[in-house]
Amino acid sequence: MEFFFQQLINGLSLGALYALIAVGYTVVYGIVQLINFAHGEIFMVGAFGAFATWVLLGSPTTWSLAAALFVLLPAMILGGVVVSVAVALLTERLAYRPLRTAPRLAPLISAIGVSVFLQEFIRLFFGYIPGMPDSKRAIPFPSVEGISGASFQIGQVTVQMPAVFTIVALVVCTLFLWFYVNRTKTGRAMIATSQDPDTARLMGINVDRVIMAAFAVGAALAAVAGVAHGLRYGNIDFRMGFLSGLKAFTAAVLGGIGNINGAVVGGLVLGVVESLATSFIPGQFGSTAWKDVWAFALLILVLVFRPQGLLGAKVVDRA
Amino acid sequence: MMTIGSESRQRFELPARIVGGVAAVVAAASVLLSWSYDPAALDDMSFWGAPSPLQFHYLALGALAAILYLLPIALRPRNGSWTNWVAWNTAARFASFTLLGFPVIAVIAIALEAGGLINVDPGAWLALGAGVVATLAGVLLPTSPEPAMHRIKTHPVIQILAIAAGMGALLFAAVFALGLQDAGAFLLYAGFAAGLVLTLLRLGVFGWLAVCAAANKRVLVLAAFFVAFAFPFTQNGSEANMSIATQVLIFGATALGLNIVVGLVGLLDLGYIAFLGAGAFTSAVLSGSAFATINWTPPFWLTVLISGTVASLLGLLIGSPTLRVSGDYLAIVTLAFGEIFRITMNNLDGSDGPNVTNGSDGIPGIPDLNFFGFDFGATHVIFGVTIGRFANYFWLMLLILALIIVVFTNLNRSRIGRGWVAIREDELAAEAMGVNTFALKLLAFATGAFLAGVAGAVKAHHDVSVTPDQYVFLESAFLLAAVVLGGMGTVMGVLIGATILKLLPEKLRFFSDYRLLLFGLLLVFMMRFRPEGIIADERRQLEFHATDEELAEEVEEELVTYHAHYNPDPKGQK
Amino acid sequence: MDAATATTVDAAPGSGKDLLLSATDVTMQFGGLKAVNDVSMQIHTGEIVGLIGPNGAGKTTFFNCLTGLYKPTSGSVEFIGRPLPPRPRKVVREGMARTFQNIRLFHNMTALENVMVGRYCRTKTNAIDAIFRLPRHRREEREATARSRELLAFVGLEKHADTLSRNLPYGDQRRLEIARALATDPKLLLLDEPTAGMNPQETREAEDLIFRIRDLGLAILVIEHDMRFIFNLCDRVYCLVRGEVLVEGPGEVVQNDPRVIEAYIGTPQIVEEEGNADA
Repeated sequence: MEFFFQQLINGLSLGALYALIAVGYTVVYGIVQLINFAHGEIFMVGAFGAFATWVLLGSPTTWSLAAALFVLLPAMILGGVVVSVAVALLTERLAYRPLRTAPRLAPLISAIGVSVFLQEFIRLFFGYIPGMPDSKRAIPFPSVEGISGASFQIGQVTVQMPAVFTIVALVVCTLFLWFYVNRTKTGRAMIATSQDPDTARLMGINVDRVIMAAFAVGAALAAVAGVAHGLRYGNIDFRMGFLSGLKAFTAAVLGGIGNINGAVVGGLVLGVVESLATSFIPGQFGSTAWKDVWAFALLILVLVFRPQGLLGAKVVDRA
Repeated sequence: MMTIGSESRQRFELPARIVGGVAAVVAAASVLLSWSYDPAALDDMSFWGAPSPLQFHYLALGALAAILYLLPIALRPRNGSWTNWVAWNTAARFASFTLLGFPVIAVIAIALEAGGLINVDPGAWLALGAGVVATLAGVLLPTSPEPAMHRIKTHPVIQILAIAAGMGALLFAAVFALGLQDAGAFLLYAGFAAGLVLTLLRLGVFGWLAVCAAANKRVLVLAAFFVAFAFPFTQNGSEANMSIATQVLIFGATALGLNIVVGLVGLLDLGYIAFLGAGAFTSAVLSGSAFATINWTPPFWLTVLISGTVASLLGLLIGSPTLRVSGDYLAIVTLAFGEIFRITMNNLDGSDGPNVTNGSDGIPGIPDLNFFGFDFGATHVIFGVTIGRFANYFWLMLLILALIIVVFTNLNRSRIGRGWVAIREDELAAEAMGVNTFALKLLAFATGAFLAGVAGAVKAHHDVSVTPDQYVFLESAFLLAAVVLGGMGTVMGVLIGATILKLLPEKLRFFSDYRLLLFGLLLVFMMRFRPEGIIADERRQLEFHATDEELAEEVEEELVTYHAHYNPDPKGQK
Repeated sequence: MDAATATTVDAAPGSGKDLLLSATDVTMQFGGLKAVNDVSMQIHTGEIVGLIGPNGAGKTTFFNCLTGLYKPTSGSVEFIGRPLPPRPRKVVREGMARTFQNIRLFHNMTALENVMVGRYCRTKTNAIDAIFRLPRHRREEREATARSRELLAFVGLEKHADTLSRNLPYGDQRRLEIARALATDPKLLLLDEPTAGMNPQETREAEDLIFRIRDLGLAILVIEHDMRFIFNLCDRVYCLVRGEVLVEGPGEVVQNDPRVIEAYIGTPQIVEEEGNADA
């Protein structure tokens, strides 16, 4: 039983990570019906931004607990968010906006191009920025006092502090997002645009700005996820966005793409399924080597049996 | 940007022609001088009075430019005659740009390779100066009307000769380009080729060639395959180039399979490399290698069929659940499928699963093919020319590519192809008109997978070993880039795209680390500025430019003229 | 036009009384909204039936129920005595074809190619035939081309066979859509607002075309707003209001029914509700 709860906790924290990224897919899709392939790379860039912020602060390793938690960590998150949002907005402006009236295939291909470009750009050029290490292989992520490597026990169950950080981050971000979408003018404009962009435009909503807001919100959450990823695994590399992005997309589909709550639920479910699958599938296929396969198999199953996702409404074609 | 009124252009026309013509002659003559002090740079341009092969190309270009400038003075183009259907001036302008660009690249390359501008000899400077003058003259010329060389009536024999000459030029260019060892020289040659192609395009030669080709389709196809077939004979046993050429063919064949899915039906498949991998692994497991996990070695033709079938079954497996939902999902599901494939191949190693693929080590030591005693691993001497191992695979791959082209074009020109276009244009309307959209999409998916599987079966033997890490997402993106660059939905375009994308990194080693970075950028730029690719499929071009009315009229006019030319009977087949 | 005989021979001699389509108590519910409520309809061979009603009355939704785009929440649709399969392409195979309110041609295909797509469901060439250019492929291509040209001539577009459909004028696009639908050899043709956006001259031509189609032995169901057009054309008319059949009968009866007049002129309040119910 302890083992089950242990895996559940692991799964929830992993799921929270997916959920933070998944929100970016779902918000953008909800508004422009574009699968932003490069979103995984936005997440990766956010982690590198946080790392760079740490270097700019003088690569501190011995700050006190309070300084680490209340100065260093927020600064790193902020740095990551700034970089992610900037990259996301640039991408939107240069690679997606000119293609808004093109056939659906065009922005998808453009997005793949951006994704490959960002990965390679970080791989080749991050090391050229003064003070930054060579990034052709994984870079150790700075440890933050009180989180990295720390853990506590509830009975027999060990809870890692990075897991707590991820879950807390998810809760805070979700609350912030709920407030933003439901209580601010831009948020309401987002809802209106997602339902009917043409009417929204007629009602005086600046659709370009709403789309930019959607990209920015998604990127900010992805950057937080990037920090959480770094704290959890202890290192970051230019490839990390690919798999996490794919998983997060799976989560978004699982919850019902376009639905913010769905992305959160989908992420958590996916994390738990992945974590439990490796412990409870018997025999060779239960080894961790297969966990990604099970996650993607879940994606395919969802698309077959419930393409609208867990929380999505059924969409009907209009003639 | 200078703006010159059309009136003053008229006034300057004759002087511009003379100046441009003289400059072109001077540029051509510059090859008699040395360009580089250092013989190591650009495959040796250091001789006085004896131009290097690359310089001979420049000489020819100068002569062409001189003709373009000077001939109209004698001909006096008139309305309604062929002299007016040739866009002399625009072509002269582009030839001049190339006359300028060539020495610019040469000077930079010499300075970089030999260490400093001091190594640049007078010949290069003379060419540069002449290029500048020619370019100025070209800018001063009035712009020609759109070329209409396709209206020129040509005797069939001349048409066939033109096709033969074109094919010969292609073969020569390919052999020459592959023979260049120096990266700078290759870049210079690529610049020359691009400039020449643009010049001829502006002149209208391609429009005329297209008419010749359309009137002699069989001749064209035979000539193309004859040239490709003859290619190994030009290499004199050089294995390095034949290996590159074979890789280009494998890559091109796979890209054509992907083109069915992406180009014809408009579905984005991002895990396509997995089908190539499935074919390769199947073929490897059945190859009789010491590491093969199945002790049964069927004849190769059967292996090819099994590999294709396995790949297409995988295609059906992944396609049948996902092709029902929106096309956007398909992209990401196929991406996930590509990952599942790679991970599975990694895990079927005996410890995480049953041993099929030896895990990440893959299956090495795949024996060479042997058809009725013809050993693909051995060197043969035919007509006194040594034909090595890779040349054997080259010919096999050529045969398979031919089959793939037949499948592609015949499907495209049938009711199935029409159904695919309808799906691409408006899936719901297609369904409402009785088109079985799901089955057609599945057919495209399975056919594409089958073809990739077949290519994979040959690839396994060609590469000698098969490992899972050859079949990663980036390779799928790379294939997609070939399709997008060349032109979605076309055969020629995709083959050109595949050649460019495979050849450049091989010849420009210094750039191989930036390969993926540039391909990522390439995808973005192509979508932004020329989504229809280098060679545009007309319908695809219209789809990507939905608001361009002029283009629509133009394409339609072309359709009508072609119909009038070649289907005088209005009831004739399309 | 002998090409149309395939349909003519089957349907025409039946004196125009055979029951072709019978919809019984069709209801279509979206969430809490009943867009179509207990609608029943019979159509016989050789009949032109009109379907009128204010905006949002559920006319198009009902069309979509018939053509397999929607699966009705309850009720049944029978076509020539058999229940209709709930998929658009199967409905087409059964012999029911439609046009769209907002023209949905394949814009970057020529007129001829558009009509040939309509022939798709009546041809059988498979991938093997096509790849190897077997006789069946060639024969069917020839036949499909010939038949499609005849249909283009029938609607008066024979000169525009090689015109891209997006370059056709609006009225011609509507006629092309009809030709494309006819290419599927239907027994019943469903026209969704065939004269929307047309001038009086074009409307008269459309009327003429519909009569000629009827004379081939086809039954026709027309949705239309233009009252004069509908009452000129139709043998019987159904008036749909708020998803329910308000009146059904010969044109002149429906035309003079006070409830129909009220539904159309209505009170502002009703109009507003109807606007919301548009599905």
